[in-house]
Amino acid sequence: MSGAASTPDAFAVFDLAPAYDLDLAALEARFFAMSRELHPDRFVTAPAAQRVAALSRARAMNDAYQVLRKPVARAEHLLRLRGVTIGGNERIDPAFLQDILELREELAEARVAGRTAEVGRLAAAMRGRRKAAVESLGALFAALPPAASAPGQAEAETLGHIKQQLIALRYLDRYLEECEAALDPDSES
Amino acid sequence: MLLQIAEPGESRVKEACKKRVVGIDLGTTNSLVAHFADGQPRVIAMPDGRDILPSVVRYQAGGDPTVGGAPDDGALQDGAITLSSVKRLVGRGVADLGAVRAMLPYEVVGDERAVRIPVPGRSPVTPVEVSAEILRVLKARAEHELGGEVEGAVITVPAYFDDAQRQATRDAGRLAGLEVMRLLAEPTAAALAYGLDRGSKGTYAVYDLGGGTFDVSILKLVDGVFEVKATGGDSALGGDDLDRAIASAVASEAGAELASWPRPRVSAAVAEARRVKEALTTADEVTFGLRGEGGPAITRVVRRQDLATWCQPLLERAGRACRRVLKDAELSAEELDGVILVGGSTRSPVVRADVEARFGRVPLSDLDPDSVVALGAAVSADVLAGGEQDVVLLDVVPLSLGVEMMGGVVEKIIHRNTTIPCGASQTFTTYADQQTGFDIHVLQGERETSDACRSLARFTLRGIPPMIAGMARVDITFLIDADGILHVTAKEQTSGVEAAIDVRPSYGLSDEEVERMLVESFEHAEDDLLRRNLAVERVEADRILAATRHAMAHDEGLLDDDVRRAATVAMSALEATLTGGDYLAVRHAIEALDLATKPFAQARMNRVLELQMHGRSLDDVERTLGVREPQA
Repeated sequence: MSGAASTPDAFAVFDLAPAYDLDLAALEARFFAMSRELHPDRFVTAPAAQRVAALSRARAMNDAYQVLRKPVARAEHLLRLRGVTIGGNERIDPAFLQDILELREELAEARVAGRTAEVGRLAAAMRGRRKAAVESLGALFAALPPAASAPGQAEAETLGHIKQQLIALRYLDRYLEECEAALDPDSES
Repeated sequence: MLLQIAEPGESRVKEACKKRVVGIDLGTTNSLVAHFADGQPRVIAMPDGRDILPSVVRYQAGGDPTVGGAPDDGALQDGAITLSSVKRLVGRGVADLGAVRAMLPYEVVGDERAVRIPVPGRSPVTPVEVSAEILRVLKARAEHELGGEVEGAVITVPAYFDDAQRQATRDAGRLAGLEVMRLLAEPTAAALAYGLDRGSKGTYAVYDLGGGTFDVSILKLVDGVFEVKATGGDSALGGDDLDRAIASAVASEAGAELASWPRPRVSAAVAEARRVKEALTTADEVTFGLRGEGGPAITRVVRRQDLATWCQPLLERAGRACRRVLKDAELSAEELDGVILVGGSTRSPVVRADVEARFGRVPLSDLDPDSVVALGAAVSADVLAGGEQDVVLLDVVPLSLGVEMMGGVVEKIIHRNTTIPCGASQTFTTYADQQTGFDIHVLQGERETSDACRSLARFTLRGIPPMIAGMARVDITFLIDADGILHVTAKEQTSGVEAAIDVRPSYGLSDEEVERMLVESFEHAEDDLLRRNLAVERVEADRILAATRHAMAHDEGLLDDDVRRAATVAMSALEATLTGGDYLAVRHAIEALDLATKPFAQARMNRVLELQMHGRSLDDVERTLGVREPQA
């Protein structure tokens, strides 16, 4: 039903080479420094054309920052830069799907029965699983040959693995959302 | 001579060109005006020597309104009426007022667009006019002190003020003869004042409990950049509500419902509650006294502990907003560098103790909580007038924005607390064969279904060339500028047809509605997810049923009897689940139908694969076959 529209290189906005491994503190510092230069408030007295240009640059910068600061969004963006997109209708390993469906049923039962502690346990387990999945992205990207080199079998295979991992992460995130919904945040105090 | 005129130092030229600007905190209870000069903001004192001007306007027959007196019970006395707390009415229709109306000491009339207040000697006044009277006094005072006309002003508003309320505030400024350079969120203004005062770096929570609203924001301050990380609040929660809670508690101890008392007695009880609350800031116990008018006389010794007990439910509501905003900022309370208190209500030790317990640290209040917002507004005004300071504010979208998808599900395109200006796109496709129009319904809110969100706009993209379902590619793009105005475009990729609309992101949303939507999205999140899942599965079921029927009708030759029987049974089973509310049952029935039609799909796939030689894409083939799409 939906898919990502084409995006310009978010790394280029900050003069960075595309890489999964990113110094987030340095990125933030750069974002702040550029905001000081580019924010539309800096151009309130400028001619209209300059104001419009400043607005679109500031917007591109803010959007790029949103993509780069989050590991999963950054990984999806890196794939997109290599021509790999993730749509809403991707195939998924049937064994993984089976696993998730069972976990969801377990969650649904715990939720319907009002077993909050069990929901909490399931959520904690899933958070651990998600963390491991995000961490594995780092290793996969490290194994990826540079984009400049001729695309070979190894690259295609690694990209495929990353893509599968990112699709799996969508399922994990959806599951975590359901956990959070079940754990009414207002009931904790 | 000529040379001398052209020669003055650059700074003097800049000083001469710089506009004379002020910052104004137009508060529910009190208002202030401040000016930035010689490197720091200062509050401009009123003629009586105080910093504050009570936001109270007295109208009398045969005379001009007077501003700044003491609020009274709001009754018409000696041909005069005193209006207070009009900020709660600004930009609101009568229907929006709800519980606020009962709390007002004066009568209001009007329609769904605007409230009017009957006053003696003239036609009923609007809250905008009343606010303008307050602003006029502040402006005149500033001009007297600064020795010239005020050329621009930054006026602060609660972070959760919607567009109607913001527009009304702007109108009040214009009516008072002010050029409103910007409306600034109150917590952000407070952080600006603090950040500048201390040259601070770090991440701060601003806890702003005013007379009528509660805002909480998390800001990060680094080298002149003020980044709002998240903002939230409860716009129907303020000092007025604490007063009312106290009055209600005393009334119920006396065996009465506050709301059942005559209006003057309610006003007297609420006013006495406020006096007691304020006195308890320094005293440990205070006697609450109510005369026996309209009911029995009441005398009750109130201790701080009583106040804490009575205010607990309200402070808990504020606490929930704090938790949500921390979660949005992906921070824990321990990671903050400080908590800044803003608003007169945070003077109360009961409120302070609650904040301290909640954040695990003593809150900062070394800047006067009453004036810190005005000081920050003055800083912002100076920056916007081209002042020397190197400060940039990065503000955020307060509520998520999205579009409605098939089945009433909301797809969020821009999430709340995204830094503005910003933009985002998503690609959607057509649902029906030969569909040439695409309806776009723009929504605001955190809930997952469209009926639970606020509708902002609808428009239709027309002229899509007829194609089979799923072939068209419609890019929907949301753009938000630095003033928070939303611009939506829809464009079909293959044909290039395009449609666009400008949307005020919070247009027509009352702050209670904003609040209600946020609170409900948390309280009903479970319910929402079930509804969302069900809606998604139903759409999927309809799609697969239609695709299967279509395939069975067109490729009968590839269908053997066993498969036909199995498919028919599975289709009926799926149809049966659609009448129920169990999304998992629907999903399982879809999977069963998938399984039953697999040999058929395989046969068709084999045949169509041959067609692919003639230029059809696999994507296309899969779509024609109605291959199941897992929902990520």
